[in-house]
Amino acid sequence: MDSIFLHSNPDPAPAGDGPLRGLKVALQPNLAAAGWPAGAGSRALAGYLAPEDATIVRRLRQAGAMLPGYTRMSEFGWGLQGSEAGRALREHAADAELVLDLAGESRVAAARAGACGFKPSYGLVSRFGLIGLMPSLEVCGVLAGTPAKIRGILQAVAGQDEHDFSMADEPVPDFAPPKTKARRPSLGIVTEALDLMSGEQAQAFRDLQGSLARSGFIVREVSCPDFPLFALVHRIIGSVEASSSTGRYDSVRYGPRAPGARNWNEMYLQSRGAAFGPLLKRLLFQGAFFQFERYEAYENACRIRARLLAAMQRLSAQADVLALPAGDGEPGGNPATPADIWAGFSPTLFANVTGQPALILPPAPDGARPAIQLAAARLQDARLLAAGEELLDAFQGDS
Amino acid sequence: MDFEAVIGLEIHVELNCPTKLFCDCPNRPGDEPNLNTCPTCLWLPGAQPRLSQAALEKAALVCLALDAELQPLSAFDQKVYYYPDLPKGYQLSQAHQPLARGGGIELTAESGSPRMLRIHHIHMEEDVARLVHEMEGRRPISLVDFNRAGAPLVEIVTEPDFRSPREAMEFVKALRTRIRYAGASDCSLETGTLRVDANISVRPRGSAEMNTKVEIKNMNSIRHVGDAIAHEIERQVAAVQTGETVVLHTRLWDPEKKATVPMRAKFAGPCVPDPSVPAIELTADWRALMRARLPEMPAARAGRLATQHGLTADESQALSADPEIAGYFEALVGGDVAPRPAMHWLLTQLLPALKERRLELGASPVAPHRLAGLLRMLARDEINANAAREVLIEMFSTGDAPEVIVAARGYQQVSDPNALEALIDQALAANPAAVADVRNGQGKAMGFLIGQVMQASGGKANPKIIRDQLNRKIDAAG
Ligand SMILES: [Zn+2]
Repeated sequence: MDSIFLHSNPDPAPAGDGPLRGLKVALQPNLAAAGWPAGAGSRALAGYLAPEDATIVRRLRQAGAMLPGYTRMSEFGWGLQGSEAGRALREHAADAELVLDLAGESRVAAARAGACGFKPSYGLVSRFGLIGLMPSLEVCGVLAGTPAKIRGILQAVAGQDEHDFSMADEPVPDFAPPKTKARRPSLGIVTEALDLMSGEQAQAFRDLQGSLARSGFIVREVSCPDFPLFALVHRIIGSVEASSSTGRYDSVRYGPRAPGARNWNEMYLQSRGAAFGPLLKRLLFQGAFFQFERYEAYENACRIRARLLAAMQRLSAQADVLALPAGDGEPGGNPATPADIWAGFSPTLFANVTGQPALILPPAPDGARPAIQLAAARLQDARLLAAGEELLDAFQGDS
Repeated sequence: MDFEAVIGLEIHVELNCPTKLFCDCPNRPGDEPNLNTCPTCLWLPGAQPRLSQAALEKAALVCLALDAELQPLSAFDQKVYYYPDLPKGYQLSQAHQPLARGGGIELTAESGSPRMLRIHHIHMEEDVARLVHEMEGRRPISLVDFNRAGAPLVEIVTEPDFRSPREAMEFVKALRTRIRYAGASDCSLETGTLRVDANISVRPRGSAEMNTKVEIKNMNSIRHVGDAIAHEIERQVAAVQTGETVVLHTRLWDPEKKATVPMRAKFAGPCVPDPSVPAIELTADWRALMRARLPEMPAARAGRLATQHGLTADESQALSADPEIAGYFEALVGGDVAPRPAMHWLLTQLLPALKERRLELGASPVAPHRLAGLLRMLARDEINANAAREVLIEMFSTGDAPEVIVAARGYQQVSDPNALEALIDQALAANPAAVADVRNGQGKAMGFLIGQVMQASGGKANPKIIRDQLNRKIDAAG
């Protein structure tokens, strides 16, 4: 068995003494830590040493967290093939992991590891120092054993950053734990998300829904007929953004420069051509196709995105939190195709498209209960984590 | 067949902000290569752009100076193109939602009637790196200097309203003046802070069709703009007349050969919005604030100079063509110099002297208060015009005050009639023929006699007194 960490931090002792003192947080190499080999899982960045800490990393250090190192990741964090997200938690080498969530990776990886996976609201955590792929869809997610740990990490890292002006000027939710136990939150089951499941999976989710109702949760069905469009919108916008912006990973000033080119222009083109792996190349080709050959499809996807955002906001008004199945991510085994990833993550893509927070609670260790995904309106992150705790409490009471 | 040209311009202006567009690096492209760089302008992984407020304000002033309308909402996009001067593979530019739309400049056509040349839109973008091609022994090497990467630019895209090289040249001149007035750029075609590209097509005169256009780049002076456009029109007309089809492409102007040559196209496609730069929302208050901050524009200044100082339209326009010149003129007038001598000495003495020394007015060794001192001495008849010219030249080399130079060199004018009388008598006695000519009404002869007296005085005599005395004596003798 190879080591858990692709890069082990020789000096994991925290710089600060704060609320996260002693908490071990594993990172992936698409989040810059000064001097660490931030290769983002791509040949294009082989040997690239991060010049400075990402804002998230700096804030973790200041809050007293220990950073044991980088774990293995898929190329630019897209999908989970080749990723070992969750392993450090499973093998008790870390108390939490930070994993980029482009399609649901952080949430699904957590569920696979028997932990909670949280994707914060878009714009709540800084992107400075994040080596990204799909800028408007991806957010740094958090994997940890309990919502309380996730809450502590968010309290330390969330909020305005003078290095990231893309963050909206809006109040940071109060992540302090709720003082009094509120009434049980109402859950809105998104019917159309269940249609994406196999019959067996859907039945397991229905059983869970029943047991939650018996535990005193108000459970109602809510409907978003356009839910299947999330995959289409994600596919077009995600691939176009990736295609347009990955040119910046030039593999010339770092990474392997292509040998044998006759001139500088050719050298640049060949280096770019050799930099990326087959799965990413397929993604970039799709994006280039939409950008250069079907631009109107991209524009339509942007319009549909706005419509989906409004639809999900309406749903959020019908219940305290939304509840959906978690999905399994892409299948293991064969090299995945982009289509496998969009299909495997179909229940989780919506939160990347809308920018709303989403939390997956792990399945019961014995498999008697499936994982469940909760979601709330943008910036309702604290309420969502509190609801997650309520559900976990209820599950404990059941067992 | 008679043809007419259809011309549109794309003009890049490098803003003179202290820092770059998306980071705090100094905006000094000419420094030692790669000195002014950081992870953001080197476009390293993980860097985030941060829009400079100063650049946004200067860009807004450019828009207002050209009468364009600032848009309440604008945004940056990724303009994808692959070329080694842009290792990031995309340039941040405002392709879909530009900073301003509309505007334009009204010129006087050759016929004398007013002619409006419209602007389609104005957007901001970041400059790319500079490529340097060198030889390392016998091996050619290419170097990339990122000092210019991320420098703040605005691009002004006109409507295809231009019909002649002259209109393009006049437009660029007027645009340059306005942007200099706005204090946003020195707009030098020579150093590249102003870059003009022209899109040119030709069609039968009177037709409304828009034919395939050719883009011309690399015009490094106003004259090149005119020459290159004229040449390209000729080339296209000749091509069409021989039945050739004009294809869409880009050509470079070669001022040595006085010809355009085709260049390799850069691959570029539609732009995708960049979510890492937030949309720019300009409130009505902010736009009003910028309008209030816009300095007086050249036409308004010319009008004011004409009324305040009794100048003609041509005179006041000549003074207003450059904000530095207009400012210098106003400083002279403010220093108690009458408007006409102030204008005269500024335009015909100071500027040519600066040009000879390859100096800009802003770097003039003779400050306005010094020149005003000299012109006041001239007005008080303490020195004559010849002496004043000599003193000015000396002020250039020594930097001394005019009073000091006049005293040291003994340039004080002799205006006392008694002191001049002996010299005048000598001149009359020595030149009887000239005296006779004066009596016969020949003006030239008077000039000759004045010159004789002036020479005898060592150039210090007051020519007005000499003339008065000569006239009196010749009349009295006759
Ligand atoms: Zn910089």
